[in-house]
Amino acid sequence: MTKRKYVYLLALVPFIVIALMYELVPIVRIILNSFVSDDSGLITMANYQTVFTKLLYRKAIFNSIKISLLSAAAGIIIAFLGARAAHNSGGKVRSVFMTILNMVSNFAGVPLASAYMILLGNSGVMIQMARQFGWDALANFNLYSTNGISLVYVYFQIPLSTLLMIPAFEGIRKEWQEASTLLGANNTTFWGRVGIPVLMPSIMGTFSVLFANALAAYATVYALMMDSIALLPVQIAGCFVGEVKIRNGLGGALSVVMMLVMVIMIFVTNAISHRFEKGVRK
Amino acid sequence: MKKHSAGSTAIILLILIYLLIPLVVSAIYSLFSNWTGIVPRGFTIEKYVEIFSDPLFRAALARTILICIIPIVITIVVVLLALFVTAIYFPRLEKYVQIICMIPYTIQGVILSISILSLYVSNKTILGNRLIMLIGAYCIIILPYIYQGIRNGMRAVNMPVLLEAAEMLGASKLYAFFRVIVPNILSAIIVSSLLAVGIIFGDYVLVRNLDGSAFQNIQIYLYQAMKSDGMKASAVFVVIMAVTFAISAVVLYLQSRQNKSAKGAK
Repeated sequence: MTKRKYVYLLALVPFIVIALMYELVPIVRIILNSFVSDDSGLITMANYQTVFTKLLYRKAIFNSIKISLLSAAAGIIIAFLGARAAHNSGGKVRSVFMTILNMVSNFAGVPLASAYMILLGNSGVMIQMARQFGWDALANFNLYSTNGISLVYVYFQIPLSTLLMIPAFEGIRKEWQEASTLLGANNTTFWGRVGIPVLMPSIMGTFSVLFANALAAYATVYALMMDSIALLPVQIAGCFVGEVKIRNGLGGALSVVMMLVMVIMIFVTNAISHRFEKGVRK
Repeated sequence: MKKHSAGSTAIILLILIYLLIPLVVSAIYSLFSNWTGIVPRGFTIEKYVEIFSDPLFRAALARTILICIIPIVITIVVVLLALFVTAIYFPRLEKYVQIICMIPYTIQGVILSISILSLYVSNKTILGNRLIMLIGAYCIIILPYIYQGIRNGMRAVNMPVLLEAAEMLGASKLYAFFRVIVPNILSAIIVSSLLAVGIIFGDYVLVRNLDGSAFQNIQIYLYQAMKSDGMKASAVFVVIMAVTFAISAVVLYLQSRQNKSAKGAK
């Protein structure tokens, strides 16, 4: 019987082969490559030195973290308001809202870039209108800048974050709000003292998803600006594609840095939500 | 209380308007040849006629559909086999299968594509073929979605009981799995494949990094149109979004039907 049982392990082979060939080995290789010099082929830390000293890459790390934090923060605030509104209205409004969010959550990448180019690009529809009416603030808006890119990122964060936050609000009981009103708390006090702390694990979980989502986003920004922006994913791809010589080491080191940034964010958000979970249990 | 819900509706409306503006503007833009003032002028469907009569566009559309099918079939078969063995014979291995399936969530497109590229680019065998690399990469990128879909489906049908019943009737476990379990989780498999179609349909990163512009899919076509003709790009955009929305509408419909039948069973 046991012998026959192990025959079934064969069914795992295709899965393992594909996972090894296209997931595990490539990633391990890219990490190992980051310690190998592109010029001499020797083991070295020079790639990391380049990443942390060359202005372009330092800027890429800084910009990536900045845009990811900004767009994740904006996404979470809007998602909080939107999910709370959905929670309060309930019923039909909520389900229509969720259906549209679900649909729009697929709207990212090149199509999103194209839509924003039509809307707010140099000769975009809104920009031209603003020029006609003399709204200088809008007319001078530059989509092709880190601020412009952040705006586009916020767009694709909203559906995802709201969809992730809506279920969390089911944990907020009506009785709590009634109880706190009876004790003299207004709406703001309730959310500040009860609602947000209870939701904190979900908020932090969503925040780390949004951060990772923005950090890895590539198609949207590449379609708008090509290689002319210092962002981690763009610089990583630049080391491998479109160059005469592939720079495995440098690209590997940049990839490792990007993965580390993501891992650090997961730890930070986990630590924060853990503290709040403890608070709830006490 | 009344005031409260009016405020909520207002917030929801604001968010919806914000989300729909880029879509609506692009759709209008694709239909009017002249939009410099407030009101667009010169209604025409000429751009739609142009793209649908463009053999390049039709080829890109066909390529995108074809490249969806192969990785999805491979991944579904492989994950089904793996989950069958781990669920029945080696429950302790399940955790590792899960970890492998969830890794692509965190690494995502850019790092995955360049890792595969750097490993195989100078390979002289078939593994160095760019299309093979692309298919492999797609298998991995859709892995989390297929895994979760099948896993949830298996949980919902109470697999051990069904298998036991089939065995008592004289079927082998393998036979029972493919003839009893798989048909029962078919709708879960369809939903996760459609999600995977959506992902591959929307992919630009993998195809661009792994195949350059040699394999022109629909996203690359859009990208090139964007650089030359905004109105044409908007028409391509409308086609892409129509397909994407159709896919997610079917997914939502199937999911709600699944939930209903699950609730009914309880």
